[in-house]
Amino acid sequence: MRLHGGLHIALLALLLAAPAHAENASRGSVQAKLSYCKDCHGASAQGFRGYFPIPRLAGQQTEYLENQLRAFIEHRRTNNIMFNVAHTLSPAMVSALAESFHALNPPPIGGAPRGLVEEGRKIFEDGVPDDNIAACAACHGPDATGTGEIPRLAGQLYPYLVKELTNWGKERGQNPSQPDTSAIMSPVAHSLSKSQIEAVAAYVSYLK
Amino acid sequence: MRSRGQNCVSASHQSISLRSNFAHPTRLGVALAALIALVSGGAAGAANDAPTGQEVQAKLTYCEVCHGVSAQGFLGFSPIPRLAGQQVAYIRNQLQGFSEKKRANNIMFNVGHVLSPAMITALANSLHDLNPKPLGNGPKDLVDAGKQIYEQGVPSANVLPCATCHGADAKGSDQFPRLAGQLYAYVILQLTNWSKERAEHNSDIMAPIARGLTDAQIKAVAAYVSYLE
Repeated sequence: MRLHGGLHIALLALLLAAPAHAENASRGSVQAKLSYCKDCHGASAQGFRGYFPIPRLAGQQTEYLENQLRAFIEHRRTNNIMFNVAHTLSPAMVSALAESFHALNPPPIGGAPRGLVEEGRKIFEDGVPDDNIAACAACHGPDATGTGEIPRLAGQLYPYLVKELTNWGKERGQNPSQPDTSAIMSPVAHSLSKSQIEAVAAYVSYLK
Repeated sequence: MRSRGQNCVSASHQSISLRSNFAHPTRLGVALAALIALVSGGAAGAANDAPTGQEVQAKLTYCEVCHGVSAQGFLGFSPIPRLAGQQVAYIRNQLQGFSEKKRANNIMFNVGHVLSPAMITALANSLHDLNPKPLGNGPKDLVDAGKQIYEQGVPSANVLPCATCHGADAKGSDQFPRLAGQLYAYVILQLTNWSKERAEHNSDIMAPIARGLTDAQIKAVAAYVSYLE
C-alpha cells in the first residue's frame, strides 16, 4: 500500500508538473522525473533498445551520471535529446537522480553475441599490449563496476557500447573551451578495431 | 642479493651516461627529440630493434591512458602511480619484475612482457624527463608528522629515515625510486602490501621498514611525499 501511495504521489506530482528547477528536489518530483527517465532508459533503467540503443543507467556511478548530465548541458557531449532533458534539471535534482540510478540493480538485458565473450574478456582484463590498448580493468575495475567519474560498464547494452566506442571523438569532448575526462578514453577507442570493440562490448554486456 | 652491488654499479653507469644526453629537458617533445638522437646514435645498445620515435610516442600515449596526463598518476580503479620524474633504473627494474612475475600485477605483466629492452630504455628515459606538478592528494594535516618520519625515521621502531635512501628531496637515485609527488593512495597501498606484491631485485631492503611502520605513520609519510615537487 505504501508503494501505491508513493506511485499516486509521483503521478500527482507529474500531473501538477512540479517545477524541475525548484531549489529542493522533493521526493515526489524526483519520482516523477525518474519515471520520465525510465520511459526511454527502461523500466528499471536497465537500458532499452529504442530507435538508438539507450544506455543502462542502473548501478551507474553517481559522479559519472552527474558529469554526463553536465556534459550534455555544456555541449561537451553532443546529444540533442539529452540536452533538452538535462538543461531543465536543478543541481539538487541531478544529484537525487544520480543517487537513485546508482541504487538500482536489475539483471543485464543481454542479447550480445555469446561467441565474442571470451575474446572480450581477454581484452578487458589484459588489454592488447602489442596494439597499445590498455586493459579496461585498470580503470573500470575487474568487475567493470567503475568508480567515481569512471563509469560502470557491467550490464551495459551491447549496441550502445559499440556505438560509443566507434563514435567516441565525434560525440564526447566536443567543447574545446572545456576539455574533460573523456580525453582519457580517446586513444583507447581510436586504437580498438571493430571486431575488438564488438568483443569487449559483448563481454561486459553480460556482467552483473 | 649477491648480484645487488654489481647491478647497482652497472645501472648507475648506464643511468649517468643516459642522463648526460639530456640537457634537463622538461617537455615531452624535447625528451623525445633527445631520445631519437640517442637511439639513432646507437647508445641504447640494441640498435637493430630500436623503436622509432613514433613507436615510442605511441607507447607513451598508451602508458598515459592509465598513468595520467604527463604520467602524473591517476586514480583509476586502484591508484595508478606517477611515473613522471621516476628514476630510469627503477622503472627498468620494475618492468622487468612485472615480466618475470617477481612483482605481482596482472595488468602490468601484460604491459611489460611485450616491451623490448630498447623500448624499456626509451620509455624510462622519457618518463624520467617529465615534470608535471604533483596531484598532491594527501591530507594536509598529516604532512608535518610525515615530514618528521621522512627526515628522522622512527628510531624506537627501528624505522630508518626515508631520506637516507630516497634523498632529502625524495627524488630517489638509480634503483631507489623517486617518491616526490607520488599518489597518496598508491604509497599507502604499496607500504601496506609490500611483501605480498614485491619480490623483485632490492625490494627486500624495504620489507622491514614497511613492516615497522604503523598505519598512521604510513599515511603521514604518504601525505608528506605526495606534495613534494
